Amino acid sequence: MKHGNPARAVWTAVVATPLLFAAIAALQMRIDSQTRSAAQEKDELLLRSPAVIKKMSLGYDALLADVYWTRAVQYFGARFGTKGATYELLWPLLDISTTLDPKLIVAYRFGAVFLSERGTGPGRADLAVPLVKRGIAANPDEWRLNIDLGFLYYWRLKDYPASADALYEGSKKPGAPPWMAVMAARVAQKGGSLDTSRMIWSGIYESNRDPNIRAQALRTIQGLKAEEDEVQLDALAAEYQKRFGRLPASVNDLRSAGLLAAISVDPLGYPYVFGPDGKAALNPDSPVIIPKEMSSPSTLSH
Amino acid sequence: MSAAPMPVAVNTFREAVRDRVLYNLVFFALLMIGAAILVGQISIGIERLVIVNLGLSAISLFGLVMAIFIGVGLVSKEIEKRTLYSLLAKPIRRWEFLVGKYAGLVLTLAVNTSFMTLGLAAALFYVGRPFVKTDALILVAVYFILLELALVTALSLFFSCFSTPMLSTLFTLGIYITGVFAGEIREFGEFTKSPALRVVTKVLYYLVPNFHNFNAIAAAAHGETIPLSLVAQNTLYAALYVALLLVAASAVFSNRNLK
Repeated sequence: MKHGNPARAVWTAVVATPLLFAAIAALQMRIDSQTRSAAQEKDELLLRSPAVIKKMSLGYDALLADVYWTRAVQYFGARFGTKGATYELLWPLLDISTTLDPKLIVAYRFGAVFLSERGTGPGRADLAVPLVKRGIAANPDEWRLNIDLGFLYYWRLKDYPASADALYEGSKKPGAPPWMAVMAARVAQKGGSLDTSRMIWSGIYESNRDPNIRAQALRTIQGLKAEEDEVQLDALAAEYQKRFGRLPASVNDLRSAGLLAAISVDPLGYPYVFGPDGKAALNPDSPVIIPKEMSSPSTLSH
Repeated sequence: MSAAPMPVAVNTFREAVRDRVLYNLVFFALLMIGAAILVGQISIGIERLVIVNLGLSAISLFGLVMAIFIGVGLVSKEIEKRTLYSLLAKPIRRWEFLVGKYAGLVLTLAVNTSFMTLGLAAALFYVGRPFVKTDALILVAVYFILLELALVTALSLFFSCFSTPMLSTLFTLGIYITGVFAGEIREFGEFTKSPALRVVTKVLYYLVPNFHNFNAIAAAAHGETIPLSLVAQNTLYAALYVALLLVAASAVFSNRNLK
């Protein structure tokens, strides 16, 4: 057997390896552009039975649950915000994740948020409720799930007695914050009012560590506070009209008339304005957004 | 007990450490744990869970591959290389040789698992999370994995005493998978209306090694308490099963005609 030059062989390998890899990658790109199979594969679930997947996991069910949960996050993230998006695999992915690992609290909490999201989201609060209930059954001491359930009933389904029940049940659990019982009583008594809604969102803010959820909760709390302010300013504007026979042009008018101690500002410090119809509104420059769902007149009662 | 198995064990350990496949496995396990850090970035709220679950699963999976593929070659390699004959000519009994071989591979697995556990701890440290008391449960899960590996090693050694490496691998894998599904086998018997089948499945349930006992990955990841009594019972269970398999392996190997 002949022995070639070893140094030459090494140099050949050093040069040839990246070239061959580059050729392989280029070829793969061509194959991908022709078949589009990879994109289709992503949207398929070969196995839909959580029980079968759990058995087939050969004891690695916790790891597989993480994989399915990550898929659920990616699946939702890729669609949310897209008009006309469909979410038919979201529930199976969450179902599989939580069956593989019933202690995966994050899948119940965020899963419920994903499922119940309206607008470009799936808007399936009817599926989010059983998901959270399943989480409560598997994790009976997890009071945060009761807050989520109470929130779903309150905000998405407008079922205030059910919301109060969920919060009250949670308030009895070890470690539950004292305000949960107060919140339950408040929902039972004044379900649908703006300040109760603000209290519910404050609960979501307090009980979550995720920055995205907390930011969303904070934005909604600010929006609800602004809505409350507007209701009060409208009442003052009506009083102003009674006294002076005309509508106020600005919050300054209310202050000059002695109806307001200072210029009223929204939670981010922008002064409110009055429209030609005499209704208070957010300053056009203000980043505060009033949540649409609570804006109907029926929900403005205090 | 005789000290004769000790040199065999040390030699087996040295041989395994010299084996390049072993290094590759450690390398891949560490790579997987490193990948866990990346997976944590594309999901929500499960960074720590992914690292613990993936790390422990990798430790278990790589350990299993090693226990089976190195275990089935423990005896056959010595026969193939004819080193067994010179060994048996020395004042060492066949069962001592087997126990030494077994202890050597278990030692290798223990060292390997320790390194992977350090890798897992480093990954947890990397994501910036301070260690908490419940992290000790990860060590319990690792200990359970080691018990599982000790049992699988004993199984592969047992089969390798009378079969080819290929068949021993299949037998060991078959028993392992049956052991993972032990609970399902018993459930199946309970569903059937045949009393005979019910007895058969029940006997099978107690006969096959129940590998489900050693799965504490999810519990460790969620910081759930693992009772000390379970640790003691699992240790005893593994010890009894290993003893049973080593006794059976010694019986087979002692009567094997090596000419």
